[in-house]
Amino acid sequence: MGRGKVYRKIYGILLIGIFLTLLSSCGKEETDTIVLRISNWEEYIDEGDWEEEDAISLSDGTIILPQNSLIEDFQDWFYQVYGKEVKVEYSTFGTNEELYNQITLGDTYDLVCPSEYMIMKMMAEDLLLPFSEEFYKDSEYQYYRSGVSPYIKQVYDKLEINGEPLSKYAAGYMWGTLGIVYNPEEVTKEEAAHWDILLMDKFQKKITIKDSIRDAFFAGSSIYQKEQITNPNFLIQADYKERLGELLNRTDQEAVDEIEEILSRVKDHVYSFETDSGKADMVTGKVVANQQWSGDAVYTLDQAEEDGILLCYSAPEEATNLWFDGWCMLKSGINGDFEKQIAAEAFVNFISRPDNAIRNMEYIGYTSVISGGESDWISQYIEWNYGVEEEEENQVEYEISYFFGREYFVMTSQDQTQRQLYAQYPPIEVMDRCVVMKYFNPEENRRINRMWTNVRCFDLAEWWRKY
Amino acid sequence: MKKNVFSRRQLAVPYAIFLFLFVIIPLFVLIYFGFTDENGRISFANFLHFFGSGKTIGTLLYSIVIALCTTIFCLILAYPVAFFLAKGNFGRKQVWIMLFVLPMWINFTLRITALKEILTVLEGNLAYHPFFNTVLCMVYDFLPFMILPLYQALCKLDNSLIEAALDLGASEFQVFYKVVFPLSIPGIISGVTMVFLPSMTNYVVLDMVYNSTYIMGSLIGSYFSSYDWNNGSVISVILLLMICAVTLLSERFTKQEQIEKKSVLK
Repeated sequence: MGRGKVYRKIYGILLIGIFLTLLSSCGKEETDTIVLRISNWEEYIDEGDWEEEDAISLSDGTIILPQNSLIEDFQDWFYQVYGKEVKVEYSTFGTNEELYNQITLGDTYDLVCPSEYMIMKMMAEDLLLPFSEEFYKDSEYQYYRSGVSPYIKQVYDKLEINGEPLSKYAAGYMWGTLGIVYNPEEVTKEEAAHWDILLMDKFQKKITIKDSIRDAFFAGSSIYQKEQITNPNFLIQADYKERLGELLNRTDQEAVDEIEEILSRVKDHVYSFETDSGKADMVTGKVVANQQWSGDAVYTLDQAEEDGILLCYSAPEEATNLWFDGWCMLKSGINGDFEKQIAAEAFVNFISRPDNAIRNMEYIGYTSVISGGESDWISQYIEWNYGVEEEEENQVEYEISYFFGREYFVMTSQDQTQRQLYAQYPPIEVMDRCVVMKYFNPEENRRINRMWTNVRCFDLAEWWRKY
Repeated sequence: MKKNVFSRRQLAVPYAIFLFLFVIIPLFVLIYFGFTDENGRISFANFLHFFGSGKTIGTLLYSIVIALCTTIFCLILAYPVAFFLAKGNFGRKQVWIMLFVLPMWINFTLRITALKEILTVLEGNLAYHPFFNTVLCMVYDFLPFMILPLYQALCKLDNSLIEAALDLGASEFQVFYKVVFPLSIPGIISGVTMVFLPSMTNYVVLDMVYNSTYIMGSLIGSYFSSYDWNNGSVISVILLLMICAVTLLSERFTKQEQIEKKSVLK
């Protein structure tokens, strides 16, 4: 036998070996450990490694200074409480659509955290598993049930798909509004209080808007309906909020055409449609205002502050978009595995424990749906973050009773009523004009996507007219 | 002992597997989605939809114009550089070549971020010149891909041909126009294909320089992100057909050139 042949055989064996390892890694053997596959937004959970100076000290003397990531802490906690090993396989996604595509392509997850409209879409497509009755019972470790803000709970209860409330299939995680971050030296509070700032001559090429169909659509819809929704007679209607929701969620051809026309003008007028350059461009002063989600706004404001620039946030007066992300269990992932379901629900409960909710909020800048129930840690955290001493000047009382479901005021600085506190916990006036954007059915989706393509594509006819 | 342990055929196996798994199969998936509707039925609606809308045609033309401008500027900039690198009479040539290829070692998003800041200083508000900035950044991005093939082609060019032409009384311009340029056409063609097609779809550059108008790449991306795989695929297929057409055309060109080359040498 020649040497060449031996090598050839080795080569062949190696190839086969590679394939076998590839194949075998797909079908891992189940052991005693429960494997929980979670998919969450990027940078959307406390990953640990806090510096000493990041410690949160609450007024009751508690100090929160985590070392491990929340995932690691959950694995330890689960073992202590349930006496079983759990291993979390944590992955992330960048957009709701990406998550949805992954799931339809066959990636399996047990617990995912999409936004409200994607939850509704998944519910409509029967992809989700309802939370167990145990999850809603008032018992020791049901931190979500006991801690969720009554206001958010009511929002989840009210939203229905096929006659079933959202709260049956989803447990809230973070929530917020859609608004405008602005530089008060260049933009007045009054100017930033309206969506048509996107079309103001004064700010030609100085504002950015999110490169996202739904966010742009909401802004366009608010500009389109402005006359009607700011009419005093409209505002005093008994069913004002329902009517507001209906109008801003209008997806009939007439409305979509009008919004297309508005967004085409916005496109020519703004600095750019951005995906994540907006925060940096605000700090460097390339733009003076930009459309932003409240959580990102808090982050932008914090960052700018470090560079000595004071920015503000505004939730426009016409209407703002109430958005939230929630945990859902996937049928395809849990697949009848009862233990897995317990682990998934335990995870939601664990991150809903007030101290963990605080850790997440501090780490990512978004607002947790947890108000704490019996525990007043969340309110202590707000005071730690935004409170001022009684003696200070310019202090104001800021009310967020609606969120806690009990009377609650925080003494804060005048500044904070337009800045981080306002973004994180908007006052009740803002909540009154909040609208949840529905998910669009395939036909509506097609109409709106076509509108978006028309807005973004090069307009030959327009160009021809111009030159 | 034999020189080669493996036969050529065996050495080609890994690539063949790679090709099959990641090129051939996806291609068929693309064609399948491109010519079916969302229910899986065969349909040409996506195809007609693309050519039936003025806006998508506009975007196709816009991409072509961007790609053309990028290619032309790359060629204008790269040709003299490649020529002097190949034929110039100076030392440390390798160092110079390295200097021109060096930018490729840095990730292009990083390079464009830097360029963006420089442009902001020069222009003020970038958003007023989206087209110019896009072409500029693309040229910056793709220039090495044009220089290298041109340099290769010009290196291969026999100096004695130039000398002969000069001896026979051709002016310097005539030498360039009748000898050097025709013989470098294969290099130009491979440079053009390496620059033209990627610049039609590289939408990251547009995003980064705040150009909010879609090009082909962004259009495909937008369809896929809204789960419209059928329309996204059909555009990819259309681009693919264009690539095929360009390649076939350039092949014909090179063949013609070879004939001409012989006539030059006659």
